Amino acid sequence: MSEHLVFLLQLVIAGVAVGAVYSLMALGFVLIYKASTVVNFGPGELVLFGAYVAWATILNMKLPLAVALPLTLVVAILLGLIIERGVLRPLIGEPIISVIMVTFGFASVVRGVLNMTWGSDTRPFPALFASEPFRVGPIPISPVHLWSFVTVVLLLAAFSLFFKFSLLGTAMRATADNQQVAQSLGVSVKGIFALSWCIATVVSALGGIILGSVRGGVDFSLADYGLKIFPVVILGGLDSVAGVLIGGVMIGVLENLSGGYLDPVFGGGVKEVAPFVVLVVILMIRPYGLFGRVDVERV
Amino acid sequence: MQCGDFRVSYASDERIFETRLPIAGVVALLAALAFVPLFAGTYWLDVLNRIGIAIIGAVGLNILVGFTGQISIGHAAFLAVGAYATAILGSKAGLPFWLAIPLAAVLTSVFGLVFGVPSLRLKGLYLAIATLAAHFITTYGIIHWEKMTNGVLGFNVTPATVFGVPLDSDERVFYLIYVLVIPSVFFAKNLFRTRVGRAFIALRDRDVAASVIGVSLYRYKLLAFVISSFYAGVAGGLMAYHSRIVFPDAFSLLVAIDYLAMIIIGGMGSILGSIYGAVFMTLLPEVLKLSATSLTGVYPNAFGLIASARDIIFGLAIIFFLMYEPAGLAQIWQRFRSYWKLWPYAY
Amino acid sequence: MRRIMSSLVPSVTLVLLALGLGAGPADAQVIKIGNLVDLTGPTSDQGKDIAQGRNDAVQYINEKGGVNGRKLELVSVEYGFQPPRAVAAYKKFVQDDKVLLVLGYGTPDTEALRPFITKDKVPYISGSYSGHLTDPKQTPYNFPGGIDYTSQIRIFLNWVKEGWKDTSRKPKVAFIFADNGYGRAPIESGRAYAKEIGVDLVDEEVIPTTLTDATSQLLTMKQKDPDFAYINTNTQWVPVVLKDSLKLGLRTKYVVNNYGIDERTPALAREAAEGVYGIQDVAYWGENVPGMKTLMDWHQKHHPNDTHASPYMRGWLWTLMAAEAIKRAGPNLTGESVKNALESLKEWDTWGITPPFTYTNEDHRPTNRARLVVIKDGKVVPVKEVSVERDMKWIGK
Repeated sequence: MSEHLVFLLQLVIAGVAVGAVYSLMALGFVLIYKASTVVNFGPGELVLFGAYVAWATILNMKLPLAVALPLTLVVAILLGLIIERGVLRPLIGEPIISVIMVTFGFASVVRGVLNMTWGSDTRPFPALFASEPFRVGPIPISPVHLWSFVTVVLLLAAFSLFFKFSLLGTAMRATADNQQVAQSLGVSVKGIFALSWCIATVVSALGGIILGSVRGGVDFSLADYGLKIFPVVILGGLDSVAGVLIGGVMIGVLENLSGGYLDPVFGGGVKEVAPFVVLVVILMIRPYGLFGRVDVERV
Repeated sequence: MQCGDFRVSYASDERIFETRLPIAGVVALLAALAFVPLFAGTYWLDVLNRIGIAIIGAVGLNILVGFTGQISIGHAAFLAVGAYATAILGSKAGLPFWLAIPLAAVLTSVFGLVFGVPSLRLKGLYLAIATLAAHFITTYGIIHWEKMTNGVLGFNVTPATVFGVPLDSDERVFYLIYVLVIPSVFFAKNLFRTRVGRAFIALRDRDVAASVIGVSLYRYKLLAFVISSFYAGVAGGLMAYHSRIVFPDAFSLLVAIDYLAMIIIGGMGSILGSIYGAVFMTLLPEVLKLSATSLTGVYPNAFGLIASARDIIFGLAIIFFLMYEPAGLAQIWQRFRSYWKLWPYAY
Repeated sequence: MRRIMSSLVPSVTLVLLALGLGAGPADAQVIKIGNLVDLTGPTSDQGKDIAQGRNDAVQYINEKGGVNGRKLELVSVEYGFQPPRAVAAYKKFVQDDKVLLVLGYGTPDTEALRPFITKDKVPYISGSYSGHLTDPKQTPYNFPGGIDYTSQIRIFLNWVKEGWKDTSRKPKVAFIFADNGYGRAPIESGRAYAKEIGVDLVDEEVIPTTLTDATSQLLTMKQKDPDFAYINTNTQWVPVVLKDSLKLGLRTKYVVNNYGIDERTPALAREAAEGVYGIQDVAYWGENVPGMKTLMDWHQKHHPNDTHASPYMRGWLWTLMAAEAIKRAGPNLTGESVKNALESLKEWDTWGITPPFTYTNEDHRPTNRARLVVIKDGKVVPVKEVSVERDMKWIGK
């Protein structure tokens, strides 16, 4: 295979792997939005939370993986409940700017608490997957990338099925559609909100764990990944689970391709800004994204 | 229903100050302000200067977000454009500050016009996300237009000069800043007595109804962005002259969030609220710093803890205000005032 | 009556506040030193250790009687790596606390405060070792606290050239650097020097400050296939770059600058760290140098449970340097006398933490010597002492 083609394919594969992680984080966002029309502007901090708790249980307290991972998820669930009950519930019905700012607010609190508890050192993250790349033809693929992609796809498939076929999933969709009607039919709207936040925190925590193992360390810069999810959810559609996967992968590939081809031309940084340019373009021509519902209010 | 309101004309309803006494109070306050630099230490002058800049920026943001209801997370980008434009015009092109700042502000409002265009098609969350993207794109542009901006290193700004006297210390810049703060605040207050201001408020409250009665949504939305970014341009220019260095890092997303916090904590849709919010957000880190320094003597580890406490307190303050006092400090002040005004009656 | 109160009270309060907040009196016997640290920003993992090192060093010095009988006091401000906060803190240091010198921190604060400290004549010892700070003609009051980045990159290029045996072509190198003042500092000089000594600079990769992963940058670099690459990025990106490089199967050998590599790198980058070279500027914790025992004993006595790495050593180093300069400046302590004292340091023994420091009034590069290290079997081991001539051509660059 020609060198250029190998280069291109490597970029694409790396992009798909990274994009899969973006999808996972964006899934949390979409779930919350789907169920309660609340926007979470602090997704990065939730990811950070998951990564740090995982690190703490695995390395600090030296618990075996089989205990540490579920424990991390349980803690994430608790966080979700705290956020939902303590912070979001009093704000039901308030204008959206208040809700957005509240999510910034608790993101800040989470960040501060993490800093206070564990400090901001870069911590080595346990290697959950081997890192020696294996080859498919001339292209090296890292097992970490492969496994993260597989995990994400499985999770997303599981959630899609959950929403479509299970009773709880249908209840969530109903709540997103029309809270009052759902409530009149016996759905506990408060419970649904709590559930959606808990799923979101759990999923973000998983994202944090995967990111931690991909990068080999946890530090506060993980939170910067959080903002990447906006191009993903806009591209995929704010309330579409399938859109999240497609959007995430597309953004990941786009990033890497612009990094590989455009960075040398423009001197770096294109990789980071390209998703946002795409975001603006999408918002102008098709705000509901590829799979979202067509209910964006226009002027 | 508020008691004690008796108006006989439209004009009296729209008065900013109901009686002459508050005017005297404000004049006294301003006179006192003029003497502050003679007495205060540099540190506090620096804080007051930053408060002044924040007031202008917060008022500008409030016009857009609080009064017109257009959510914008891009305020830091506008500040950056204002600051860099002023720095370039002032230091590289050699223009005096009284040309550099207005020109920079005009440039920023053109910028604001461009970034206001998405608001014509998007509302609420989508607009917020679009402005978020605008922020990153602007930051990228500033960092990579190295010929003009010196990229990530930033560059030093030559101080403004007034009749040959360089404004290179906090005492002197103080006057420049507050000379601009006062008209900014009054202009904004007056704006909402005019047709334009009322159009903005109508846009926020019921945009469809507004357009039905003939308020042009396109025109006024863009105008809100233009005015708001003009303010941001002025604030940014003052930032350049105050810190005398422009740096991409000084205009990070956190700055935009800080300004949003200012108007939320202060009170959206209230000019006085913008002032309160600006003061609060600027003083918060200073108060924390002071307590850190004093506590460190007693408890050495406090230093590190206080540093992360800033994030926690900031977050808690926002959450607290949004939960219990969504109309912000301005509302608290209103209630306080009316309590005194009406005492011993309850209403 | 009420209306009078509610209007005039704020005005009066403001006036009283302004009057009351004028500069307070200073304690004559204590020498104040401004201290900037980052505990919450992007370099806080280093910043914490540095701050601790400085605090400990001051405590140690005071326990031993202070400097010329006077105690030192650190006026510390946490600035989160944000230049405006550093500028505000500096103003407080100089006007209200009347500090004698400032222990600065990183490139942003050092760059932002350059014009201020030159005008105010306040010596500034920085953790930023940017070559731009080494020319007294341009920055007379800046004193980088270690071997400057430009010298380091020259060491790298010399080492590449010396070890290159293949006569059919020139060695190919690449620079990987952070997209900020610190990362970019030595790059231009590096380009020029590479050309000068006949090393082929085939690629430059920029790592932005919000890094998600370095894959595209490394893939681009892989196409150019450099033999060696010099990493000059923020500390926490180094493991990421190394790991991604391993994942992508690059054969490039890496040399990391002094901040990028330390005792913790092998644990963070694991297999990817094997065979990676680096430049060591300060002794690592526990090394066999004269001052280490004193330092470790003190540390054991006061907080044995904290582990510390090289940033901690740097904190001690810079404080000791400041104390030495204050001692030499004698009874007349001004910014200028301290600056002259610093410039009088010749082959000053830094407790063995670094090679001896020499500043002159023409050259603010403290040393031109360092140690080349390599990571082998998960440990950082020394390879050899390296140095580069104090060529005045590279001063200030």
